[in-house]
Amino acid sequence: MTLTVTGLSAIRSGRTILHPTSLVIHPRERIGIVGASGSGKSTLGHALIDDLRQQGHSVAHVPQSPDEALDPLRSMAFHWREAEEALGLQAGHADREGLFRALKIEGGDLRKRPWGWSRGMQQRFVIAMALIGAPDLIALDEPTSALDPVVAAATMELLSGFLDGKDTAMALITHDLGLAALRVDRLLVMADGHLVEEGRTEDILERPETQAAKALSAHRNWMALPC
Amino acid sequence: MLTVSDLVVKRGPRVTLADISFTLPAGKTLAVVGESGAGKSTLIAAILGLLRPSSGEVTWDGAPTRDARPALVMQEPRAAFNPTMSLRRSIMEPVVAQNISLAGGRLERLCAGLELPLDLLDRRPDQVSIGQAQRAGILRALIASPPLVLFDEPLSALDAVTQKHTARLIAELQAEEGFAALIVTHDLGYAVAHGDQIAVLKSGRIEEIADAQDFALNPRSDYCRTLRDAAIALGALEAVA
Repeated sequence: MTLTVTGLSAIRSGRTILHPTSLVIHPRERIGIVGASGSGKSTLGHALIDDLRQQGHSVAHVPQSPDEALDPLRSMAFHWREAEEALGLQAGHADREGLFRALKIEGGDLRKRPWGWSRGMQQRFVIAMALIGAPDLIALDEPTSALDPVVAAATMELLSGFLDGKDTAMALITHDLGLAALRVDRLLVMADGHLVEEGRTEDILERPETQAAKALSAHRNWMALPC
Repeated sequence: MLTVSDLVVKRGPRVTLADISFTLPAGKTLAVVGESGAGKSTLIAAILGLLRPSSGEVTWDGAPTRDARPALVMQEPRAAFNPTMSLRRSIMEPVVAQNISLAGGRLERLCAGLELPLDLLDRRPDQVSIGQAQRAGILRALIASPPLVLFDEPLSALDAVTQKHTARLIAELQAEEGFAALIVTHDLGYAVAHGDQIAVLKSGRIEEIADAQDFALNPRSDYCRTLRDAAIALGALEAVA
């Protein structure tokens, strides 16, 4: 289902932190919302999620750190059941085995509380919860920055592989154009609360037009390695 | 020169650092990379003299490192400053504590090098951006002209563009000031771009220590290859044919 939002904006303490922004996301599409700290990318992400949910779309949100998503006093089984209930599913009706296998967490003990799992496994568990019931969109806000690089790389790889061939669209919110460039088809560049540039990933990497896109593109990695 | 020889640190029955040996000459940069729990922060504490090694030695030019008064740049820029004091007061603390008379214009010169407007120093840490707070943290580390500066994940709180900008400012100041830098980072891209040498710590041991460029092109162990490939898969390093 094509997702459309029109004129999203946000004001905090009298200051406009998101100027009216409209966008369309197609099924299966992977978009990156990129920008510097304070550019409004997370605000756009939140507004996008809220608006689409109000329209009746199913939108899953994966926050930066699993600490924000998981209650340290509750077992993993409790979290899973809660996620099922939130979607109106009966206990045990989500394809847990399939999701756990896809995200390589089938070895996790559901009786344990979050801190009984490694952080990488916690984050993949949160992604698995987000994917219950095949949402129209999964929005991930800096999903790898709280993880070690090796774990982060594997997590993105598993998520990409899982989404291949499914209708679920993905929105990746990040300051890191290097990460986004490898994972998304289309980029939305934010600066000072405005959507300043939008286009196919290759085009923005090769021919950035705005100052913000030029800075992100020029600093997208530390160096190119011959291999 | 920083010399770490046969360093062992035990905490209770657990060995957190085992048989660590390396040297870091004045003016050079060693990047220490490794996953969480590998012992990176313990290594910093041992070099600063904040913990007593179980065995082995850490020296600067033959004397205990503490005598050389190494400086530390911390990971969380705002948390690294006293929230009730102006940046200026925090920055001048090492000067006051060590009873140093600053060369005329040193503060101004460092501020210019770090692209920090002088009047910004009269603000408190919560009144500046994270990037500015981290540059102020670097200023505080450098103000007393230490021969050795330790950086504990100095860029991880910053966004991608600010990271590269800050890294460049650090490198420029290092060229001017000549301090040795030991940079702990989980970002192999940063390590390769700015380190002369890279040491990979794994479970408290040095898995590999190598020239940065050699390491990036040809990591010797499987683990180091995994690290390199993860950096490429995250877009931190780019593989080109």
